[in-house]
Amino acid sequence: MNAPNDVRRMLAESAARLFADHVDAKLLEAAKHEGWSPKLWQALEAAELPLVGVPAKSGGAGGTLCDAAAVLQLAGRFAAPVPLAETGVLAGWMLAGAGLAVPRGPLAAGPPHRDESLTLKRSRGRWVLSGRVRRMPWARIAERLVVIATDGARELVASVAPQHARIRPGWNLAREPRDDVVFDQAPLADAEIAPASAGVSHEALILRGALARSLLIAGALERALGLAVDYAKQRVQFGRKIGQFQAIQQELARFGGEVAAAVASALSAAGVIERGGNARLAVAAAKVRCADAAREGSLIAHQVHGAIGVTDEYALHHYTLRLWAWREEYGNEADWAIELGRLMQTHGADALWPALTSD
Amino acid sequence: MEKPSSSPRSPVFQDVDFSDLALPASALALREEVRAFLKSEREAASFVPRLGHTEFDAGFTCKVAARGWIGMTWPKRYGGQERSYLERFVVTEEMLAAAAPCAAHWVGDRQTGPSLLRYGTEQQKQRFLPAIARGECYFALGMSEPGAGSDLASVKTRAERVPGGWKVTGQKVWTSWAHKAHAFFVLCRTSPTTGDRHEGLSQLIVMLDSPGVTVRPIRFMNGRHHFNEVFLDNVFVPDEMVLGEIGEGWKQVTSELALERSGPERFMTTFPLLVELIRRLGASGDARAQEMVGRLTARFWALRRMSLAIALALDPGPDGGHGAAKAAVDLGTEAALVKDMGTFYEREIIEAARLTVAIEPDPEAVETFERFLAETVVGAPVSTIRGGTTQVLRTLIARRLLGPLG
Repeated sequence: MNAPNDVRRMLAESAARLFADHVDAKLLEAAKHEGWSPKLWQALEAAELPLVGVPAKSGGAGGTLCDAAAVLQLAGRFAAPVPLAETGVLAGWMLAGAGLAVPRGPLAAGPPHRDESLTLKRSRGRWVLSGRVRRMPWARIAERLVVIATDGARELVASVAPQHARIRPGWNLAREPRDDVVFDQAPLADAEIAPASAGVSHEALILRGALARSLLIAGALERALGLAVDYAKQRVQFGRKIGQFQAIQQELARFGGEVAAAVASALSAAGVIERGGNARLAVAAAKVRCADAAREGSLIAHQVHGAIGVTDEYALHHYTLRLWAWREEYGNEADWAIELGRLMQTHGADALWPALTSD
Repeated sequence: MEKPSSSPRSPVFQDVDFSDLALPASALALREEVRAFLKSEREAASFVPRLGHTEFDAGFTCKVAARGWIGMTWPKRYGGQERSYLERFVVTEEMLAAAAPCAAHWVGDRQTGPSLLRYGTEQQKQRFLPAIARGECYFALGMSEPGAGSDLASVKTRAERVPGGWKVTGQKVWTSWAHKAHAFFVLCRTSPTTGDRHEGLSQLIVMLDSPGVTVRPIRFMNGRHHFNEVFLDNVFVPDEMVLGEIGEGWKQVTSELALERSGPERFMTTFPLLVELIRRLGASGDARAQEMVGRLTARFWALRRMSLAIALALDPGPDGGHGAAKAAVDLGTEAALVKDMGTFYEREIIEAARLTVAIEPDPEAVETFERFLAETVVGAPVSTIRGGTTQVLRTLIARRLLGPLG
């Protein structure tokens, strides 16, 4: 058990090299205006990284959810301005489960909120989709909008061509596309819709979305910590490197703990889902812990950097802006804490310890 | 803007894949055994669960020993069971969740045993390990002194060479349960301070009934007695009671810190209060209380994953290490992180309990929730002091993060 997973390690190493070769200041700056980086996407797609975790027989790259988790953590570490989570872990997962084709190109997934639902009706011998989705990540650059919807009796997965939707562009703090999307009797061909497979549901989509954001947060936090540490080793004030001051050291140590907890919880949650464990507990715990860490960590990172960290010339903002965006997406820490607290309360005091140790 | 250099791996937990972290079937089966044991003990009212400082209960320790749960990772020839660190982890966390009285065997099982396995002579191992594992021999730790708290290397207790052994003189403080223990490890100076304060320190095994040893109680602020000060006045310690090498005491003491700082006891001492809080809340629909419970659950979950990762990494495996933790793995920083965050987490539970159920803590309370609250509020300052203060731990963590600053 727990022998180093060599395959995953090699995957992560080659993915890290690819990100490092492509993601630089220029690319991130350009993405702020374009909303994403087609150039990075092409490189990732050529390496089959977006569809890691999607079965090869469905057109994916194979591998497990934990493999995909390792790639998402890296995507966060590089602030990769591409819909990596949406394409594989969310849309690819829904499509593959339903037996639908997983197309090439960036995909969007939804609805990303619990209180949203899309409806399907039969009209003149075909399915039509209606409803509204708020702030759907990456909708306007996606090849397909992959959604889960209900016909009143069951949940189905639909792959909608973007031209059949009204998309109103929106942004998150890091200027990633978060678009309002309206489907008004959007027509679907037979090959574009199928019943959701066991395990795929709107509820499960929300869980996976929250898991994906947790992994991205964990990665972005690692980078923010790295930048803060590097800065503390270089910046001189009062004749000393600021990292030599205990006041700074104490903050960096706290930061290190927050990052470790974020990484531990996010990756652990992926493992729990893969092993068929208590996904609600694990994902809720991960999103709460990662969002908490995002709050504490981002502010320590800026405090250590002083004024230079708040400019748009310095790298830190690429990560902290994303941390502040991602912690809200797919439910913030209060949403998930209430959900988790209610769950624990419902099961009762004596079920808490068994739940926490069900692994 | 500088180009992100390479792949900045997190400097801690570098070789841990948390997504792969799971307990083996043997540990899960053991958990059921421990739960069944604790359930029957609780039903028989054999102990009263208490928080803050675990209770000293020789009878309970004997029962745990009879199950083979003391020294369970040690070799069989020394009374151990040759089980894994993860199995030990499971036993420890079950005991903590049940607030079971483990003080009698705590130090022997956690500190003395591993140190003896790594540094002890064959004779010392034979003499002490089986007795500890049987629950018949209790150890204490003689580290802190009036002038040496966080700065442990400044201990003044000294041992002078005499024929056949050493004469020890000095004073130790905060020696928990020394009034009940049979022996303690004494960190002392065996040669005068030269340039490097970490040199010239040694560890001696001192029997607490030796002539010249005086144990005096130091009462905790609620009147309870677990701390002591121990005076050593020309106490003779024979050569065969030297632990490890003379002059290597510092290295020996610090090498076991990862194990001591990363265990579930660093974040679970107030956990039973969280359980009682949920019981007290019942079906209340108070969203603020739910958010607090949810947050505490989430934070516990993350801490436990980190602690588990360390237990796993330190496990020597079925045929390595003779039961001592894997020597090659340096997880001191990770362990310090777990302790630092874990001890603050313990306080978060107290705060949540206070703020959601507004009651006045009463040390004589009969109700479990009220009693736990009183015990934990008073015990709260201790966990961030003992076993490495917050400030010392953070300095150590920062040193790893920053590396040499020149």
